[in-house]
Amino acid sequence: MIFPAEDFFTDAPRPTPLFSAVASESEANLWTTINGWTAARVYSSVSNEYETAKSGAALADLGPLARYAVRGAEAAEFLGRLTTAPAVNLHVGESARGLMLNDAGYVIDLAEVSRLSDDLFLLTLPAPHARHIALASRGMAVEANDISGDVAALGIFGPQTAGVLSAAGLKSVNETTAASGVLRGVETAARPIQFGAMPGVELIFPKEEALTIWERIIRRGAGAPIGLDALEVLRLEAGAPRPGLDFTPAGRSGASPRTPEELGLAHLAPLDRGWFNGRRALLEKAGKPRRRLRAFAIDAEQASPGAAVYGDGKPQGRVTSCAWSPARKRVIALADMDGSSTGNIYEISSSDPAAPRLPAARLETVESSLAKAFADEQGYTQGLATDFRR
Amino acid sequence: MTNPLDLNSENKSGNRIEGGIDAVVIGAGADGLAASAYLGKAGLRTVLVGAGPELGGRIAAREIAPGVTGIDGEHLITVLDPDVISELDLYRYGVEFAARRLDTTYFFENGGVLRFDGDLTQAALLNLDDDSDREALEAFMGDVLETAAFLRPAFHGGGYGGAASSQQRALEKAVNQAPPEMAARLQRYLFATADEVLRARFDDGQLRTLLLAETSFRSAAAPHEPFSFMSLLRRYAGEAAGLQGAAAYPKGGAVSVIDALRRAAQGAKVDMRAGAPVKSILIEGDRVAGVVMADGGQLRAPIVIAAIDAAHAFGEMIGPGVLDIGLQRVLTARKAEIASARMQIILKGVAQDEATRKNMMRRLVYAPSPEALSKAFMDARAGHVPERVMVEAIFPTALDEGAALDKRQVMSVMAHPLPFDEAPDDDRREAIRSAILDSIEMFAAGFSGRIEVEDLRLVNDDAAAAGASVAAYAAKPDVLQQWALASAVTGSPRIRGFYFCGPEAQIGAGLSCAAGRTAAKAALRVYKKGAE
Repeated sequence: MIFPAEDFFTDAPRPTPLFSAVASESEANLWTTINGWTAARVYSSVSNEYETAKSGAALADLGPLARYAVRGAEAAEFLGRLTTAPAVNLHVGESARGLMLNDAGYVIDLAEVSRLSDDLFLLTLPAPHARHIALASRGMAVEANDISGDVAALGIFGPQTAGVLSAAGLKSVNETTAASGVLRGVETAARPIQFGAMPGVELIFPKEEALTIWERIIRRGAGAPIGLDALEVLRLEAGAPRPGLDFTPAGRSGASPRTPEELGLAHLAPLDRGWFNGRRALLEKAGKPRRRLRAFAIDAEQASPGAAVYGDGKPQGRVTSCAWSPARKRVIALADMDGSSTGNIYEISSSDPAAPRLPAARLETVESSLAKAFADEQGYTQGLATDFRR
Repeated sequence: MTNPLDLNSENKSGNRIEGGIDAVVIGAGADGLAASAYLGKAGLRTVLVGAGPELGGRIAAREIAPGVTGIDGEHLITVLDPDVISELDLYRYGVEFAARRLDTTYFFENGGVLRFDGDLTQAALLNLDDDSDREALEAFMGDVLETAAFLRPAFHGGGYGGAASSQQRALEKAVNQAPPEMAARLQRYLFATADEVLRARFDDGQLRTLLLAETSFRSAAAPHEPFSFMSLLRRYAGEAAGLQGAAAYPKGGAVSVIDALRRAAQGAKVDMRAGAPVKSILIEGDRVAGVVMADGGQLRAPIVIAAIDAAHAFGEMIGPGVLDIGLQRVLTARKAEIASARMQIILKGVAQDEATRKNMMRRLVYAPSPEALSKAFMDARAGHVPERVMVEAIFPTALDEGAALDKRQVMSVMAHPLPFDEAPDDDRREAIRSAILDSIEMFAAGFSGRIEVEDLRLVNDDAAAAGASVAAYAAKPDVLQQWALASAVTGSPRIRGFYFCGPEAQIGAGLSCAAGRTAAKAALRVYKKGAE
């Protein structure tokens, strides 16, 4: 799950249930606000936290995300309507990514659905959408409750995730199946999640127990907290778009809406999956993207969001987000490109007008690989193939 | 236990799947009949199914007293689509007007009276004393009729383009392509309140009063509210008996139009089935596949047209599971607040003087003062019955020789605005009855003493007769909101082969059939494309 863009104008940010715990770990004391909740940008240093995620186990406070408990006889059908995630096909314990689309087939937000029991699901969204959810539930045997502030949510990423969980006493949890159980006397649910394309586990427990659980995990494991800035690098390496930054969610004022295909996320909304909101409109738009969100590796030490992207000497798009990638030793960027732009080699404008443009090349990320595999598979039947060979 | 081989057992229809049908039309009201007649005429094997025991929907003949037949639903024709009349040959199938271009006599609170010619382009003929008022009215009616004619295609309802905002886009296009003078006028008329526009044009209080009454009659938008002037344009964009903005009375009443539509459908070999309620609409993938009847039987067809209210069609027959969420928002956003009421009154005796006899051949309108009208809307919104309401009255027995009675007259009244009530109790009905009779007394003093029988008909009565949801018969909101709603119900579902022409697809009140025609034409376009 991806955090949405920060909101800089919140008057009185609320502390997440884990705030007291994570605040004690913060050396940098650098905070921001997401969905009105306080979130740490950096705990120690971006490079340390990045390394922890790559080689150990990184602990992220996922409290700012919106969560809904969806319960009822038609919960699966409801989620299959509200999101593109295949909720009906999920077995108990399974999770799936998807998108929330409006009637016109444009992306409102990302979504993640986990089936906790036959008629109980957990819906996680980057931002709250209470009204849309309430409208969608009308006429269906389903109840969706916003539990965002009632539970603590801790994301664990990295190769040693399983070790941390095991040390904490949740032996039944692995990275593919959700489970609920009692962790040292505390009701806890654990579910597999993905941050961008990086797999991990999310522990959810009552907010009253937040400090206790945090203490136990920190004391036993090799985990260390990770802030938004390091997570941002991981996100860009995975090529996952961030709502509010790489695209404006449909329905927001001034939004220039995007279809899943335009965001490189067509694989999250397959048109042969069954009905979901916006599917019929999407059928008409499939294969005709006006824009494309593409990942680039820029041969430079830094670049700026908003920089122009040139192909064949002509401006063809604009960088929407970027960060230095220690793994790639380059700046990784996502850029909103013209739909007809198909090249591989580009140039990015420099922040210094006098300096030459920066060389950049298309980058294959986990997300774009998924999109490519999907397009290859669909290409035979629906003509949705995206040509990655050029 | 029933024997499945016994074709006479009750089980037979429940198991029956009928194929070989090109189109199913749900709802046997005016729009359903018109749509099915169009499809049948084009050679499609069409089945029309209606839930009620009779075909015809809310417009129906009913005995209101021993030997006296009244007509429920509409009592005048003001917006019947002339294309439907000519394309379905309704004159051949029995539509005949007993009175065309009815003159209107307006009565005011202060006792004043004004007469309007039935032909609005001749408005200057009315009995105004002041020449400047007459000139101002003539110029104003010219502007209004021209603008209304320009906007007429936009008042037909039905997007069917796939996009929810197709109506708005069509309107934007019309405004953009209009000559500069018309575009400026359109901009002004689109957003203005009726009160603003009329104040700018007339000094005469009575002219303003009568035009405000015409504007807000049968609309949920009060004349001081934004976009309300569009309601007047909508009213004057309609046509009756070949004349824009006119009102006409058909021989036999509005039900004769229904009868003609039924005969047109019969002539087009439509298989019409009354007492055949539909349980659900079959959707397979993104296509409509037919309907499931209440008895469990199925009618399989690639085209389904729903000419019933949206709550039934979308909420119950299709179900929220395959509906776009935005459509659900549009359908549930509006809360009905205002309604009109019909009253049919049998009066003893005959008119003694010439003036009364002449007035009985006209449309009579009681127009409360602008202040009283605004207060009436506020009262009705708050759920109270206003003290005075607008009244439109005609005398079918005077207008139609065939309906004449011996030493008695039938007066048919439409009253507005009244509070919308799903299930009014006896007290509420009595309050509405008193308000209507008191308002008539304002221009026909002593008339109450001649009442022999009165028959009050509220929206819940009409809904019960047609088997529809009561909210579908509430007064419609301002025209812009109606455009949004009509676009959503006709354009948004995006289920291939499914078309909607229920009351929500129609802009404004009255018997129009334009929505049924538009839905059938859209279905035929796609059907012919598929057949090629």
